[in-house]
Parts: sequence; C-alpha cells; structure tokens
Amino acid sequence: MQYTENIQIALGGLTDHKFRSFLTMLGIIFGVASVITMLSIGEGAKREAIAKYKDLGVNNIIVREKNLSDSELEEVRARFSPGLSLADAENILAVVPGVDKTVSQAEKTMELKFADKSVRSTVIGVTPGYTDILNYTVREGSFLTEGQYDGRQKVCVLGAGTAHTLFGKASPVGQMVKMGDQWLEVVGVLASKTVFTETVGELAARDLNTDVFIPLTTYLDRFPRDRALDSEIRQITVHVTESERLMETSRLVTQILDRHHWGNQDYNIVIPYELLKQEEKERQIYNFLLGAIAAISLIVGGIGIMNIMLATVMERTREIGIRRAIGARKRDIMAQFVTESVVISITGGLIGVVLGITLSLVVTLFTDITTYIRLYSIVIAFTFSVLVGICFGYLPAKNAANLKPVDSIRYE
Amino acid sequence: MNNSLIEISQLSKIYDMGGNNVVHALQDVNLTISQGEYVAIMGPSGSGKSTLMNILGCLDTPTSGHYMFRGTDVSQLDDDSLSAMRNKEIGFIFQNFNLLPKLSAVQNVELPLMYAGVPLRERRERAIEALASVQLAERKEHHPGELSGGQRQRVAIARALVTRPGILLADEPTGALDSKTSVEIMQLFHELHEQGNTIIVITHDPNVGSYAHRKITIHDGRISSDALNENITRVAMKS
Repeated sequence: MQYTENIQIALGGLTDHKFRSFLTMLGIIFGVASVITMLSIGEGAKREAIAKYKDLGVNNIIVREKNLSDSELEEVRARFSPGLSLADAENILAVVPGVDKTVSQAEKTMELKFADKSVRSTVIGVTPGYTDILNYTVREGSFLTEGQYDGRQKVCVLGAGTAHTLFGKASPVGQMVKMGDQWLEVVGVLASKTVFTETVGELAARDLNTDVFIPLTTYLDRFPRDRALDSEIRQITVHVTESERLMETSRLVTQILDRHHWGNQDYNIVIPYELLKQEEKERQIYNFLLGAIAAISLIVGGIGIMNIMLATVMERTREIGIRRAIGARKRDIMAQFVTESVVISITGGLIGVVLGITLSLVVTLFTDITTYIRLYSIVIAFTFSVLVGICFGYLPAKNAANLKPVDSIRYE
Repeated sequence: MNNSLIEISQLSKIYDMGGNNVVHALQDVNLTISQGEYVAIMGPSGSGKSTLMNILGCLDTPTSGHYMFRGTDVSQLDDDSLSAMRNKEIGFIFQNFNLLPKLSAVQNVELPLMYAGVPLRERRERAIEALASVQLAERKEHHPGELSGGQRQRVAIARALVTRPGILLADEPTGALDSKTSVEIMQLFHELHEQGNTIIVITHDPNVGSYAHRKITIHDGRISSDALNENITRVAMKS
C-alpha cells in the first residue's frame, strides 16, 4: 500500500490550507485539551483527598468528644456520662474483635516559649503507639517512647511549623521549651504535613504542623483541665485490622460507648475511609459529567472534520477521477481520504495534548486547585481523537471511493 | 491464438434519463482491434464516441454485449478488476492532460506504478525512463503549472506509457494545443506506433484522424464506416 504517499498528500493538504485546517482542528484541539485538563483536575483532587485521609488512617475509626458548651457539659454529667476516658479505650480494645490497637489523646491550646520567641500550639498528650496507626514521620530525633510515657517524663515532639517558628533553622532537639508553666525537653521534630484545608466529617480544619506531642501521663499530671467537668481525654483512635469491617466495628464501638456513657451522645464517630469512599463516589459523578462534556466537544470536532472532508472530496472530484482512471481501486481512494482525516485529527490531537498540559499547569500556577496529569489521560484523549478521525473520515472517504470514475474524470 | 487485442460484439450502452426518456448511446457495436494497430475513432459530438472510449478504457461498463480484452470478458469484471485493467492495460491520454497539479512531473508519471504496487525505487527509475522517452527527463521535477501545454501532454503520455499498457487510449489529445504543438504530439504518436504500441485516438478532428492507419466513424451510436486510411499524413521525421 501507499501509506507514505497518503500521509504526504494529507500533510500537503494541511499546509496548503493552513487556516482552514486550523479551524477544522479546533474542535479536536479543545476536546482533547479539555479531556486532559479535566482529568488532571479530577486526579489532583483525588490525590489530595487520599493524602488527607491517609493522614487520618484508612483503617482507623476516630471517636472524638463533641465540643460541648458549659451547660451541655453539665447536662451530660448530670445524666451520668463520665465523658471519654482511658477506660473507654481499654474497653474497646478488650471487647471489640478486629481491633488491634487504640490510642488516646487529650489536648489543649497553649503558648509555647523558647528564648524570646513564642507560638500558640495545640499540645496533645498521647498514649504510646500513636505513630503506629497515624501517619506521622519524624524528621529529627525520635517520637515519644513507652519508657517516657511510663516514666511520665517531661519531653515533647514538635510539629514542623512550631519547630520552625521557635528555632528557625537551628536544631531544637535537646532544647527546653516552656509550655504553660512547665519546661519540657524537645526529643524529636516531625516532618512537615499537608495542611487540612477543609473540614473532614466532624474534624475541624486545622494546621497539623503546629501540634506538639507529649506523653499523655505527663499531660494529665502537669496540665489542669480547662473546665472542672471536662473529660479525661478528647479522642480515641481505634485501629481495625481489616478495613472491610470498619462499619461493623464502629457499630460495636458505639454500643460500648453508649453503655458506658449512659446513652449520652457526647461524642462523634468519624470513619475516614468511609468518608473517602463517599467523596470518591461524588467525584465519580463529577468526573462523568466532565467526561461527557469533553466527549461532546470531541464529537463536535469530529463533525467539523467530516464537514471539511465532504467539501474536500467535492473539491477534488477530478483528482479522484484521475486516480481511478490510472488504476486506483476504491479502497485506495478510501485509504487516501481516511488518512487525510486521521492526519487532521492526530495533528489536532497533538496540539490539544500540548494545550491540555499547558492549561493544567496554568490552573495549578494561578489557582489553589491541584492538578495531576496521568499518562493514561493523554493516551485516552489522543486515542479518542484518532478514533474520531477514522469514524468521521469514513463517510466522506466512502463518498469519494464511490464516485463513478467516468463522471468524476470530467467533473469541472 | 489470433492477434486480436480487443473484440467487441453486440455492444450497447443505454442511459436511462428518467421518465420514459432513454438514450441509446451505443447500439450493436461490433469491433475488432489487433495488436499494433493505430486506430482513429471519429464522429461528431453526441455520436457516442466518448461512450465507446469510456467502455474501451474500462471506465464504464456496457448495458449489453461483450467486450473481450486479450480474451477476458471485461463486461463481467468487478470494480477492483476494472481498476486493475485500467492500471495495467490502458494508458489514458486526455484532452486536458489530467495531471495532478500538486505533484511534479516524475511523481505524476509514477502514480500508476504506485497503484500497481511497484516498489519506490523501481517506480522512480521507470518513471524517469518514461519521461526520457518523451524527451522530458530534464523537466522531471517541474510541476504541471511550470510546463507548457505540449510538455504537459508529453508528461501525460509518459504516465500512460509507464505501465507498458496494452493500448494507448487518447481522447482528443491535441484539443487543448496549438497547431504546431499538435503536430509534435502526433509525431510522437507516430513514433510510439512505430515502436509497436497499439494506439486508439478518439477525435472529431479530421487532421488528427488522418495520422491513423485505420479510421472508424461513429454516427448515432452505430459504426458507419470502418476502413483503412488510404491517405495517411506522413510525419516529417526530425533530423
């Protein structure tokens, strides 16, 4: 066959009518560019969500005390709820099957001081094993150990933001910082984490980098509760071995807590994995809509190609007649015109890929929307543009092939 | 085997113009053309000579009757086989040259070989050879727009010759040329005939017809005369 010749003819046609070819390709260019941009925005959102939920742990159930007003707090205490306590955590671990670990935490916002600098941080008292089930990386030094917990030592691990504010570029490990009226030794610094920009379930958005971790024993010893009626702890994070059983497990956790809290709903349960799945489902609908819009623009682009190809075939009736007279078969003419429309759509597709990548970068640069271009989105967009070229080039090519040689050779 | 190249028997072509309007373009035509003949098919416009040429050139099929080419019944062939026939056996030469304007002379000449599936290198060699045989080898890279009418017709003749076809089928080959160039083209036809090519020229111009060795006249779709040319115009051989 004469692929090379057909491609040459097609490229010749393309460069002979530059403006017309460009207009013809426009639909494909926008179609492909929008597919790539939309998929990259979708992918960016997905990655952001996964990172966010990964921080909370996809195998975790988070039990967190509600923010109660003074009167509400009095009311639940009057109805015998002791609030969240270490005993609750022990009960859950002992009774609920499939739970292999729990960590508890109490927290309050305090002023941290080092030399002449100070910063407001969330001081969190935690039980050992915290980093086993929550996604924290230690940048320097080490996280709190069981020995430090049992020994009720006055040590702390700083979040990256707090460390930076207090110490700048210097190493904080080994230094003493003051929180409230207590001096604690810094034993570790955490790596920087993504900032929560939106509320997850019942968990408020906040900057995790300003957290400071100390042993819960030390916390309970050294820092008085803000209100006399406050519960012992604020949050229990329950780790489940199999994520398929998160829902059942959370029902059991609820039952246990209900019994110990005398039916008082003074806590919330957040299951990050379920939220992730739900968010993913919502995003799927959104992605489907975007995909449909992109598909429509590709089809419109295809119609544009078909339109121009039909005109081209008319224009070149004579040429077709000549080619037929000197021995071109119907399928040779078919191949020539299909090649031509595919070359148009491929060229448009390539321009569209470049435009799509550029647009994604522009979106990332000038807005706070994260985008991520995956190779498959380029492949999909490009393949579609080629398919559009074949499909919408077929009819005009068929018309060209079916012209009667005897008529077309004398066409003026 | 006899040396008849073309045998047409009882051939008719009827165009249905819609309604009850039927045009008999050709009626019961019988014609035999042998290898190496130089035939002029003459007749006024509307006589059916173009229809005959289309059928001879496998561009069209007859309504009834038979057209045997080297023993093959062309009227029974499908579209692909007709394309192959045109490619291998028919060398068309048209009044308005019918070259592709975007291709160079040599690319135009190569075209039939491309459809015959000849490899690129051989194609190019044979095309240059064919151009040389019409004295246009040095113009091979020129586009039709850069060539004179006579040169364009010679490129078209080279294109017709390049597949070494059974017949050269020329439709008013000098219709778009001035008289001096016309003589040159007819001289080239004479040479090609001398070299053994079978030539069929369709024309209404007696001057063009007078070069042929046999004259067939068509009137109203029927052959009205078929005779050897007693008075062949002698070509002044170039020195």
